Amino acid sequence: MREELVAVFADPDGAARALRALHEDQVTTARVVSSAPFPAVHQTGRPGPWRALGWIALVGGLTGLSCAMALEVATSRSMDLIVGGKPIVSWTAFGVVMFELTMLFAGLSNFAALVILSAFTRRTVSRRARGEVTTDRLVVIVPLEGCSADREAAIRRALSGAVEVRP
Amino acid sequence: MIDTPAAAAANPISQIERDTLATMTRTSWRYWLGLGAAASLVVLGGWAWSTMLRQGLVVTGLNSPVMWGSLITTFVFFIGVSHSGTLISAILFFTRSPLRAAVGRSAEKMTLVAILTAGLYPVIHIGRSWLFFFVLPYPNQRGLWPNFRSPLTWDVFAICSYVTVSALFVYMGMLPDLALLARRIGGWRRPLYRALSLGFSGTDGEWCLLERAYPIFAGIVIPLAISVHSVVSWDFAMTLMPGWHSAIFAPYFVAGAIFSGIAMAILLLGGLRRGYHLGRYIKEAHFELLSKLMLAMSLVMTFVYATEFFMAFYRGDSTEAELFRWRATGAYAPIFWLVVVCNSVVPLVCFWKRARRSLPVLIVVSVVVTIGMWFERFLFIVTTLAHNFDPFAWRLYVPTLRELAICLGGFGWFVMLFLLLIKIFPSMSVAETMEGEHASLGEGPHA
Repeated sequence: MREELVAVFADPDGAARALRALHEDQVTTARVVSSAPFPAVHQTGRPGPWRALGWIALVGGLTGLSCAMALEVATSRSMDLIVGGKPIVSWTAFGVVMFELTMLFAGLSNFAALVILSAFTRRTVSRRARGEVTTDRLVVIVPLEGCSADREAAIRRALSGAVEVRP
Repeated sequence: MIDTPAAAAANPISQIERDTLATMTRTSWRYWLGLGAAASLVVLGGWAWSTMLRQGLVVTGLNSPVMWGSLITTFVFFIGVSHSGTLISAILFFTRSPLRAAVGRSAEKMTLVAILTAGLYPVIHIGRSWLFFFVLPYPNQRGLWPNFRSPLTWDVFAICSYVTVSALFVYMGMLPDLALLARRIGGWRRPLYRALSLGFSGTDGEWCLLERAYPIFAGIVIPLAISVHSVVSWDFAMTLMPGWHSAIFAPYFVAGAIFSGIAMAILLLGGLRRGYHLGRYIKEAHFELLSKLMLAMSLVMTFVYATEFFMAFYRGDSTEAELFRWRATGAYAPIFWLVVVCNSVVPLVCFWKRARRSLPVLIVVSVVVTIGMWFERFLFIVTTLAHNFDPFAWRLYVPTLRELAICLGGFGWFVMLFLLLIKIFPSMSVAETMEGEHASLGEGPHA
């Protein structure tokens, strides 16, 4: 079992105040679990691997573009289509499907990346703490590994506005 | 709904949750009446389609040269409606509009339902619907392969991409609400919501990822939405037919799509507001903004109509000039003038502030615009085919009652799917509404 303090707050402002107090005490390892992206969420300094998302969507989009090009060019050449003397490979006409598949693959990869990275991110918060959240309750989790007694007392003081603090 | 002011004052966030989930938890007789009426239309349309499947396209009024009629009209109409929902939601997201929490989810659902409805009509229209998979590019023994030069093939790719991306867009925005529902709703729906929430639990890292992934997705959805309706317009504009072969068609279709979509959004949101007492969230100001947008689109449409006529008469193409003269004075003239009244005249009432703030007036205007836009699609599809280059081939088209029944069935299908969706998934984003309400409370009771 993880050594941590789980503080339950009845409102987002109370959690935000506690997080500010923790920051002032140089405690930057706190995590928040909430049912909406309240301002407190943005004060934890744990943004997750979000920078990867844009790159993953870009790679997905380029994959879609490549698939569309391969599909259109390769199959048009191999199927002996009747094109009335026009070029078999027509980039202007093929551009539409390329665009559609680029966007489709970018969207699919963005969604897949969100799901996979979220699964990795939430594993750093205990299941017990995640289960405490409701629409009107936020949870602040502070790891206590390697904390001195004084530091733990300071953390408890910062969390004093919570409805409940449990180890 | 637990709607007492005292309860709301005691715990506004719980009240928001109750209110925003009201569409799922309360079922009034009006809901059953609406669902029953919609289902009846679906049965009627299904029966009419079944006769078409048995007897063939002979039961329609289609002929040579008018081989596209009311079924393709309904397809184009619903593609238009689908266009604006996602577009509105994504644009409101990027502009950080407070309108989004109330309007976005319903608009996205409208998109999804509309495109699922639209997708039925090309399949119905081909007659032998069970062979629709011939349009898909897959290795087969028939030696058939779709021609990637054809706008009809572009359509297949565009619509399939749009359905997928729109569904994921709604789903992505709904993940936090599904996680909430997995905790709050019991019975058979709990495992469904638990599975659909994909384990989302609201940690700071997950919120951050969602808040970064969502704008990327919205950025993908906007050009895709515009491309879909542009591609549908190119089904017509890439031909050399008078009245269709025009560079203005893509923006004209996009503007028309937004116009009809806003009208439909006002109707659906008005129904939700009235039916579930959501006036606290879907406010008069929201309808006023939508009506201003509808008015602006009406003016754009009027400009496009005028430009089409100007170009037809000015550039000296006698076929095109004759077609446009015939549209306004020929056999379909009543429909032309109906379209002008519905799309260009009636929406002008929105210049009047009291009309913009009156839901009954906006409902009436939206119904009129919806009718006007369906007939507008009908007009430009049918008149071009009925009155093109060769006077020898000129022929009128009148849809049969069975065709009209299939079209009405589409409207029933659209309403029925929307009503089922609001019963299974929340119609407003609970998380966004809570975030917005918390921000608006400021240093209020929680400070």
